[in-house]
Amino acid sequence: MIVRMSKVEIAGPRGLLEKVISLLQEMGMLQIEPSTIGFIEKKDEAYIDSFLPDKETLSERLFLEDLKAKLEELFLYLPDIPVRNSYIEPMVIIDTIKENLQRHLLTCREISHKKEGLQKELDELSRYSFFLDAIEPLLKSIKQIPDFDFIGLTLRDSEAIDTLRKVLMRHTEGKFELLTSIASDGTTVGLIAIKKEMSERIKKALSDKDIPELKFPSSFGNLAFVEKMTFLRKRISEISAEIEEINMRLESFSVKWGAIYRRVKEWINERLSVLKATASAFETGMCFFIYGWMASEDVDRLRIRLNQDFEGKVVLEEMEIREQDLDRIPVVLKNLTYFKPFELLTRILPLPRYTSYDPTLFIGIFFPLFFGMILGDAGYGLILLIISLVMIAYCRTKRDIQDGAKILSVGAMYSIFFGILYGEFFGELGYMLFGLEPIFLERRTAVIPMLYFALTVGVVHLGIGSLLGFIIALKKKTKKAILSKFFQILFMLSILSLVGSLFGLFPMLLTKPIILAILFLTPFLLFTGGLLAPLELIKSIGNIISYARIMAIGLTSVLLAFVANNLAGKTGDIVIGVVVAGLLHLLNIIIGVFSPAIHSLRLHYVEFFSKFIEPGGRKFEPLKKEGKV
Amino acid sequence: MEKALIAFAAALAVGLSAIATAWAQSRIGAAGAGTLAEKPELAATIIILVAIPETMVILGFVVAAMILFGV
Repeated sequence: MIVRMSKVEIAGPRGLLEKVISLLQEMGMLQIEPSTIGFIEKKDEAYIDSFLPDKETLSERLFLEDLKAKLEELFLYLPDIPVRNSYIEPMVIIDTIKENLQRHLLTCREISHKKEGLQKELDELSRYSFFLDAIEPLLKSIKQIPDFDFIGLTLRDSEAIDTLRKVLMRHTEGKFELLTSIASDGTTVGLIAIKKEMSERIKKALSDKDIPELKFPSSFGNLAFVEKMTFLRKRISEISAEIEEINMRLESFSVKWGAIYRRVKEWINERLSVLKATASAFETGMCFFIYGWMASEDVDRLRIRLNQDFEGKVVLEEMEIREQDLDRIPVVLKNLTYFKPFELLTRILPLPRYTSYDPTLFIGIFFPLFFGMILGDAGYGLILLIISLVMIAYCRTKRDIQDGAKILSVGAMYSIFFGILYGEFFGELGYMLFGLEPIFLERRTAVIPMLYFALTVGVVHLGIGSLLGFIIALKKKTKKAILSKFFQILFMLSILSLVGSLFGLFPMLLTKPIILAILFLTPFLLFTGGLLAPLELIKSIGNIISYARIMAIGLTSVLLAFVANNLAGKTGDIVIGVVVAGLLHLLNIIIGVFSPAIHSLRLHYVEFFSKFIEPGGRKFEPLKKEGKV
Repeated sequence: MEKALIAFAAALAVGLSAIATAWAQSRIGAAGAGTLAEKPELAATIIILVAIPETMVILGFVVAAMILFGV
């Protein structure tokens, strides 16, 4: 449900503005409007100015902004670990905090920069570790002879190995050893052992043939290949230890100071939001004015509190909402306990306008209904109900999972209800075990009646949508939209009657008058809805046929259950039969959770809501303390 | 022979529309996945866009049912 909002004006002596805003922030009920549009008559605008803060307020704001920037930088350096709550009053010790913060920021900045440098070096050296891991076993297999040199390389493929071997053969006359291995990332690495005097010549030849030699960082200097390897390992472990030590220092700092600085940051944000809010107020020579929006149900409570705290010096007036205000009214959604979990499904939609409807209400009514109609199996419903109840009981802290489980439980109940109507309990197992007969329709055989049923549901559902669209147009008092919606509904009814009479649902005699009615309505439709109106009608027909999915998806579910039971029977063994049927039913249940849910949602999002929901609502953002819901 | 033709017509009605839906959904789905990586808040719009072509196969299915059951 979209909460009814009030347009309000708060006025009082100029000197009380800051205290009033602090109270408004504490109450968290009012969204302050920074503009006078729609609040002040044009003729009065000359007497009212935007509130200009004094020098003291400005310097306080600058001081707090600076402190906030420093705190934000400090938190960038600190690890994100849970810290205790602090209850200090920052206002009293703000100068001490400023001094300490400056010192702490410098220290943390310095050690964080050091850590950054070390991390960079570690990342660079780690690039060699894959080579190191692959090459070390090769090094061990080669005899360590003093006048031998080693060249490490990375090779593209096996062809490169052949080319390399040919190059080495030509330049060393066979006096070399080449060993290759595959590194952990899939790269082929090679190690060449040759006499020291040939080393430079071979390196040049490799470079000419585009075979990349492994280059170590310049910090490795002129160390021999084997020494480089040892140095690399040693340096990596040194850097890791240093980083670990820095992390521990930052962590212990965070444990000691994190809570205090977090509380200070929270206080600064609250104080800054009060100071910023004063910029959205207006003033005359003596008074201040605050304009804004709040829930109508809260108006009296705020009025009483203002009277109590300021002894009648500050007044709250409710103003008249005009037609031109409708697009500016912020939107708050508030639903009854049953509908609350369904907000999970409407949260992903854009916020509706104030003049529109809250989609949660409709999803709460129709979503589980369609889910039940599609799944429609008492056995599956029972299992899903048990699963959802277990989830509700065990996931008390995870709100989204709780909401999802609650939606599933309602859907499962509808599924049990429709399962009894269709006579389905794990397919036709209910009939075999305890003679469960269909009360309404047997979905497996009554395909066409089920199709008619699904389409009828679509007609009713979209009829409600169109009617709601018509009511919105009536509320907005826009003549063209009212007439357009009215003729669209009439036209749709005529087309449906025509289809009904052609299919023998209505007497054939009605066909001609209905065609005449359609021809009569066409110019009105074009005149009120424009050239796109016929297109809209074709879309509406498509929308109705789309409800056939209720039957189609349901049919696949019932046929899979039928196959599961029959396949189990054909195995001829009770154990294998139960396993086969169990697996297939399990698969059907898994599909049965997702498929009906997605298709029911689609019917709402695409077909139903397009008829009346107007997106583009403005979110209600009251002035409130940080973390207050 | 007539029965076989009816079955073939129904299969064509549902099969071709299924291929069309699959093709459209593959294109929209791939683009949607890319969009979601950058703007996760567009999830609802993407679900709607992916779901739109499904109507084609449902229409095909209805036509196939009408062919098979002689409506």
